[in-house]
Amino acid sequence: MQTDKMTMNLRKINNKKGVAMSFNWIFAILAGGFILFLAIFSAGKFIRTSEQTLYTETAASLISLFDPLETGLASGKAHEIGFKKKSKLYFDCEENLNPPFGKQTISFSEQTFGDTYGERGQRVSIKNKYIFSQDVVEGDDVYIFSKPFFMPFKVTDLVMVTSQDQNYCFWDSPESVKESLQGLNMKNIIFMNSSSECEGVNVCFGTSQTVCEVKVFEDQGYLIQRESGKRVYFAGDMIYAAIFSSPSMYECNVKRIKVKFDYLAQIYLDKIQIIERKDCNSNIGARLSTMLGGVEDSRALHGLFMTAQDVDSINRQAKSGCQVYYNNNFDI
Amino acid sequence: MVNKKGQLHIQETKNRRFLDLGFSKKGQLRIQVLKNLKRFLVPSPKRAQLRIQEMAFMLLGVFLFFSLVGIFAFSLVYVNLSDSASQIAEDRTLSSITSLADTPEMSCVASKSNCIDGDKLINLVNKSIYGELWPYSSLSVIKFSGFGKDTSELIVCTKANYPNCDIFYIYDKKVNNERAISTHVAICRKELENGYTYDRCETAKIIAGTRLIQVDN
Repeated sequence: MQTDKMTMNLRKINNKKGVAMSFNWIFAILAGGFILFLAIFSAGKFIRTSEQTLYTETAASLISLFDPLETGLASGKAHEIGFKKKSKLYFDCEENLNPPFGKQTISFSEQTFGDTYGERGQRVSIKNKYIFSQDVVEGDDVYIFSKPFFMPFKVTDLVMVTSQDQNYCFWDSPESVKESLQGLNMKNIIFMNSSSECEGVNVCFGTSQTVCEVKVFEDQGYLIQRESGKRVYFAGDMIYAAIFSSPSMYECNVKRIKVKFDYLAQIYLDKIQIIERKDCNSNIGARLSTMLGGVEDSRALHGLFMTAQDVDSINRQAKSGCQVYYNNNFDI
Repeated sequence: MVNKKGQLHIQETKNRRFLDLGFSKKGQLRIQVLKNLKRFLVPSPKRAQLRIQEMAFMLLGVFLFFSLVGIFAFSLVYVNLSDSASQIAEDRTLSSITSLADTPEMSCVASKSNCIDGDKLINLVNKSIYGELWPYSSLSVIKFSGFGKDTSELIVCTKANYPNCDIFYIYDKKVNNERAISTHVAICRKELENGYTYDRCETAKIIAGTRLIQVDN
């Protein structure tokens, strides 16, 4: 019996095929594992990259949708952007990057599984637009409207971005604000009266409402957002930018707009010299020059509006056909 | 039998004979087995090394194959990506150029739509800083007088020769691969005639360039 066992053992030991199989198995396991790891890793990476690419492309394409909002001669424009899935738009503002004009960035992500959002795509730069919004705008649809900004000539268009899911309840709003916004047919802005109901951000102009997320002191030219407690100043149609954007984005864009104003004012100052050749004299140069220079915050910009009014009244007094700029919309 | 297994089997049978006779040859057999064990347990080092080398080469081959496939796939994706980026940039140029004439830097003083104020435009000439504001790689405006002329024949506008010139070069980033898009606009300027100042308008063309992204860049 013992010898039989020994014979068996010897057979096993002597079996060269067994040894060869073990090498094959080691190879199969190593190579297979490696290939499997590489395949899973590559697939994961590819899916993530594709998702990122798609989100970045969407963000880049969205910028083109802001171009039709250039108001031209209009007093305002609005449109709606719909997404297939619930999406998030992330906005940033950097006044120090891309000198001297600064820039904003936009990035995009959408819901993937359940309530989770995919990782946001790359930030795409917006250099020639001034977008006022919350830092993140979330929803199936977003409403965008624009208003021209004059100081005293047209400086730029202010673009406001809001979500369909976020209602704004305007309490005791002045007729001018009501008319201006109702004309744009924004569905998420509700002007409150005794019978209307609204759940959302309470924007209060008067004292009838006690709980207000945004409290506007229109006659004093500022408003306070309850969440941040910060006071931001506005003039003219900048009131809409101040209401619908985060204070940090508002202040950043105010500085960017002021830089644009400075370069634009320089163009008008040069233009004065050109039209002087055509027997047109303008006296706005001296007053306009005093408005040049950076501003620290919205309060400083607000302070310039008195000078802007002076410049406008001087420009209106110019000889017929010799005004440096024409606008009928500058009104504080 | 050449086979060692066979030899061993024969040996074992022979040993059985000795066992029956009362001679204990177990020790011999054990020694024999141990000898065989030593011989068969330890594989030939050369053969094992060869197998390991084979495996290493195979793994290297597999790795290289997948790397090449990966590089090929990546290059395909990258080409599509750059095409897509160029397309988006062109779309952006196209959408913004149509409203460029209405921007405050260019728009006409007399509240005309799609109209450039020549007296403002001349002050934008060679202002490369606007390359940081507008999304174009180059921007110029050519007046009607310059239509159909060769580039060398065009009179470049400066403050000295304005308005007797053909083309306003606002900025040019001098990129290698550029595609230009143009749109027609009106260009107006102040004119003085018989003591009266009036707006004189003519046709012009805004030409905006878009930098196309190349794979080899």
